[in-house]
Amino acid sequence: MSKQVMRRQASDNEYLHKDFHGALSTGIDYLEKTYGEQAVIEYLRRFTDTFYAPVKRDVQERGLPALREHFERIYQIEGGQAQFEQTADELTVRVAACPAVMHMREHGYTVARLFVETTRTVNEALCEGSQFTAELLEYDEQTGRSVQRFSRRASR
Amino acid sequence: MIPCTDFIPAYSELFGYLEHRGGKQAVVGFWHYIADNFLGNLRELVEEHGIRGCWLYWMRTLNEEAADFQMELDEETGEFRIIMYDCPSKGMLLSLTHMEPYDDYCGHCPVLYSRVLEPLGYEFTTDLSECDRARCSCTVRAKQNP
Repeated sequence: MSKQVMRRQASDNEYLHKDFHGALSTGIDYLEKTYGEQAVIEYLRRFTDTFYAPVKRDVQERGLPALREHFERIYQIEGGQAQFEQTADELTVRVAACPAVMHMREHGYTVARLFVETTRTVNEALCEGSQFTAELLEYDEQTGRSVQRFSRRASR
Repeated sequence: MIPCTDFIPAYSELFGYLEHRGGKQAVVGFWHYIADNFLGNLRELVEEHGIRGCWLYWMRTLNEEAADFQMELDEETGEFRIIMYDCPSKGMLLSLTHMEPYDDYCGHCPVLYSRVLEPLGYEFTTDLSECDRARCSCTVRAKQNP
């Protein structure tokens, strides 16, 4: 029987706790079971409108380059493989496997039925008020592999 | 995708959304749900290793969260302690200038961990008196036999 002490400062480690994906998935699961599917969508829209407000402003001002930088940052942090195809009017993001889904599958966490909304609804909310619209063209629930497209809205 | 580095604001907003839908009772109901459905790894480690399971659990989580902390384990007295000098979660929320954190954000810790540890024979106590500066402490102690 011994006494152990561990002292760490923030600078000793990189901030990357992927189990948080499991906690978010549990939250989405709880919201759906307690309040229904629309509550999940409403919550994710509210989150995007508040926390990603600076990103939304940037998308409204700069359009596709701002979206691309946002996704490049996300997939770089998480070590995900994402390919980008960009024209003046369209950005397509091809994700080989969602790092969040893969982490949860590898560690035995339940992936909520509506976890896909962390991509679809958040992307749609990011584009609200901008000249662009978001579509989730493909999504594999097992791996989170996806094709996400952002296109300029048709002018009237 | 929401990256894990953006989870804490998402968690805070979830607490706020739940309170908006069902009051504080709904928030606490979620905290119970997450303790029962997400913290199985803490439960399993303590079941297998006793109080050392706390050390093993928080050694991973606090290092991955890049916390500024001290952890102490005394297996002789059956006590485990965390002194949090700068909580990365609360620190992040306090640093955000464009959103308001959930006012009882730190309240989830005692609810979650008590719910996991008390049925296993441990009491979990916290001092949140400085949580508005992202500082706190908690102690896990084996319950005395009656």
